[in-house]
Amino acid sequence: MKKYTVRLTLNGTPREYSVGANELLLNVIREQEKLTGTKYGCGIGECGACTVHVNGKPTLSCLELAVSADGADVVTIEGLARGGELDPLQKSFLDNNAVQCGYCTPGMIMVGRNLLDENPNPTEDEVRTHMRGQLCRCTGYASITKAVMGAGSAGAFRMPAE
Amino acid sequence: MLSTEFKSVGDASWRKDGIAKVTGSEKYAPDVSVDRMWFGRVLRSPHAHARIKSVDTSAAEALGAVCLTFADVPQTRYNERIVSTPPCLYRDRTVVADKARHVGEALVGVAAPTEELAEKALRAIKIEYEVLQVITTMEQARKDGAEPIHDTVLLDGKDKPIVNNVAVQRTIDVGDVEKGFAEAEYVIERSFKTSRIYHAQMEPKSVVCRPEIDGGITVWASTQSIHNTRILLGQIYDIPLSKVNVKKVMLGGSFGSSIQMNSVTPICVGLALKAGHPVKIATTREEDMHDHVRYPSEIKLKLGMKKDGTLIAGEMHANIDVGAHNIQAFPFLGGLGGFWASLYKLPNMKYVGTAVYTNKTPSCAMQGFGAPQAHFAVECLMDEIAHELGADPIDFKLNQYVGLGGTFWGQGPASKCIIRSDGVPELLKTGAELIGWDKRPKPGSQTGRMRKGIGMARGFHTSGVGHAKASGAEMIDYSGAIVKLNEDGTVDLIQSLMDHGGGTNHAISKIVAEELGVPTHMVGLSPCDTRTSLYDVTTHATRGIYAGGAAALKAAKEVKAQIIDWAARVLDVLPESLVIEPDEDLGQGVIYCPNLAERRMTVGELARYLHLNSLGTISSSQSMRQVNCPPAYVSYFVEVEVDTDTGQIHTRRAALGSDCGTVVNPALASGQLIGGLSKGQGYALTEDNQWDPETGELVSKGFWVDGKTPSMSESPKVGDIDTHFAHTYEPTGPFGAKGLGEAAKNPAAAAFGNAVYNALGIRFYEIPITPEKVLAALAAEKSTKSRQAAPKAPAPVAE
Repeated sequence: MKKYTVRLTLNGTPREYSVGANELLLNVIREQEKLTGTKYGCGIGECGACTVHVNGKPTLSCLELAVSADGADVVTIEGLARGGELDPLQKSFLDNNAVQCGYCTPGMIMVGRNLLDENPNPTEDEVRTHMRGQLCRCTGYASITKAVMGAGSAGAFRMPAE
Repeated sequence: MLSTEFKSVGDASWRKDGIAKVTGSEKYAPDVSVDRMWFGRVLRSPHAHARIKSVDTSAAEALGAVCLTFADVPQTRYNERIVSTPPCLYRDRTVVADKARHVGEALVGVAAPTEELAEKALRAIKIEYEVLQVITTMEQARKDGAEPIHDTVLLDGKDKPIVNNVAVQRTIDVGDVEKGFAEAEYVIERSFKTSRIYHAQMEPKSVVCRPEIDGGITVWASTQSIHNTRILLGQIYDIPLSKVNVKKVMLGGSFGSSIQMNSVTPICVGLALKAGHPVKIATTREEDMHDHVRYPSEIKLKLGMKKDGTLIAGEMHANIDVGAHNIQAFPFLGGLGGFWASLYKLPNMKYVGTAVYTNKTPSCAMQGFGAPQAHFAVECLMDEIAHELGADPIDFKLNQYVGLGGTFWGQGPASKCIIRSDGVPELLKTGAELIGWDKRPKPGSQTGRMRKGIGMARGFHTSGVGHAKASGAEMIDYSGAIVKLNEDGTVDLIQSLMDHGGGTNHAISKIVAEELGVPTHMVGLSPCDTRTSLYDVTTHATRGIYAGGAAALKAAKEVKAQIIDWAARVLDVLPESLVIEPDEDLGQGVIYCPNLAERRMTVGELARYLHLNSLGTISSSQSMRQVNCPPAYVSYFVEVEVDTDTGQIHTRRAALGSDCGTVVNPALASGQLIGGLSKGQGYALTEDNQWDPETGELVSKGFWVDGKTPSMSESPKVGDIDTHFAHTYEPTGPFGAKGLGEAAKNPAAAAFGNAVYNALGIRFYEIPITPEKVLAALAAEKSTKSRQAAPKAPAPVAE
């Protein structure tokens, strides 16, 4: 199969890939980069577990062809914590016990981060509308809603050095 | 009980796996890859019931793929859930099937260097089918002359013939039920139906197997038990267990769907052994939806009582559709009957449970294992009786429930215990206050478009399957733990017990910290595998903290005794004079003698002393079975709003109470209750699966959202859900703790059913209570009322 060159800025670093025309952005991230925080949940845009930011917008990477993301700035869950410090939303997820099995968590955080970028103090209704496409089977969503609403006051947390 | 007496137990620390989970660095089975790894795909039957006349894999092999057909796998049948003991284990599976018994049945495994090639090879395989009669209902299955789905199964080493597609039947008799009904002054009988929903765990089942040079294998799999996966793989492929290593990886939800070894796990191993390469199979959502569902039920329940409502006799007939394979119908039927027996005092009871094969996705455990089904029937019927008698359902139930001093059936007739902690009265009182029980409307009194109603149901789940019997048990139930003190005073907890996500492993680290007197953060959860850990049966039956935590506590007690013993020598005091307490400022456990203030040292100082003087490592390895199975009580109060124009039911408010003894992870425990409400709402109101009666195909074809898993915008708002905990202490649990997880869902559907009754004055005996059913019931009621309101109209000739 013919291969195409795709250039991305991935979590701040310029990267180049050779991919087939049908290769998904999700697979480039998970299989070529081994960044497995971005999850496969359904493959057809039903659950939101694969959400990443493409040029600042939340994008279902299971529905995005890698070639169509050529030249884009892509941020995955691994790119949120910068300089050893958790993003306030990541910290808020921990403070609010919004993590159970954790499989939906990366997608939840990427979508929540996008909402907070647009609207730093969302109301509960705004959170519910913005995140209604993200499925979670463990939590019943209340803790996740609280985490997004409380991220503004979560503060910083420096992770222990590796 | 939310306790302030403890230091670690009940603290608000971040869960230990939290940072890994919020940063995306946590590894689940689909995230595992190893060097030189091939990719596996599974050829699945498009037919619900078909004999395989021939399989031709030559074109696939010509492409460079390795194929695994029925001829390549061991022919001895096994059961994939080895929690039950051999006399209770119905074996009807092989690695790939000799016959298609449901759409999606695995028939051939294929592995190739790339996933693309594996898929291409899969499509090159030719199978000739002889299509058989498709059976999608229990009624069809039991008819004389119905096509047998299995001719025989293997039970305790012998072939057991399957007659009329009945997989297994169980009866339980207590007292004299005929005499009981003869003495009853009032008898009520109703039929209930619960649905066959999908687990909808976020992680599709995945597995990686690496063949090792010594003939062994290393396996990373979605599973609730790494040790049972190991034992099964060792048995199937005849590999000594010392050479079968199953690694513990995080579970992305499961809810019971990985109690059994998942169907792709042994296929992956077979492919890896044949190919001589590591192989990964990551299933698609579509495949996963064709692989497992909850047991549905048809329950006929008859209760006989005195005029005042005192129950004296009960009879239940429960029919369950197991689908194409009998994964665990025997314990399920026992569980359903036992949970019924444990809800209300019944001196005379008869229970007949029947499990029937059909050509559908196999049913398996899902949060509650027979309890949600039993709770729906019993809690709805008790509510109905209370209303008939003009009694408050809370008082009516409190008068007759099985509580303190009563006998609780942990999971069927073989595991029972005396109830030693009981928070039921407190739960119902608090829940009633929080929801505004006394202000609920009179059933059927509202007339507007939107009608609100409040419903209540109560219940429990067991905490493990512990029991006092030394032999003859139906189920295996024990856990192990290794606790060791590191050279800086930190502690490693090595435990194979899996965490579904509820925070079980974190909770157990707190139990260890509490016992040792060190801060919570000093106890680390070690990565482990079957070679380096002790056996744990599986995380099911709400046993994690109660049974797994107790095993870890046993090891921690032994470690603490050694710490005290060594510290006494170093500090030159009597061991009995020493205590250990966490010092948050030092970030250490401090060992000291209250009577001699200067005789003190930190646990870290002791550990360093032992290390530098070559005195050895303090550690303990313990294994244990709980001899009790205490009920983890729960109470549900929900308020719904029914839109009588659309038939939609909205969940408006909820007050959820748990009697889990000592609460080890307060916020996570509250989260378990709210998660239970969400799954309960789906179960009660929206979720279902249908199979085409002609073709046996899953009507949704594997589209997840067709299953109607609740989303955020369909859930009650944050401030409208209250959670509360009973002030109890379970004397047989670690630091007074018992279970919680599965209880969090069990009474949900009944609470919704009772709330809808309160709103509309109409009883629903079948879940999900969909908008279509609501509209149909409202229309039926309207036509009945209009007929009653117009007595002069001519009577209808025929209905």
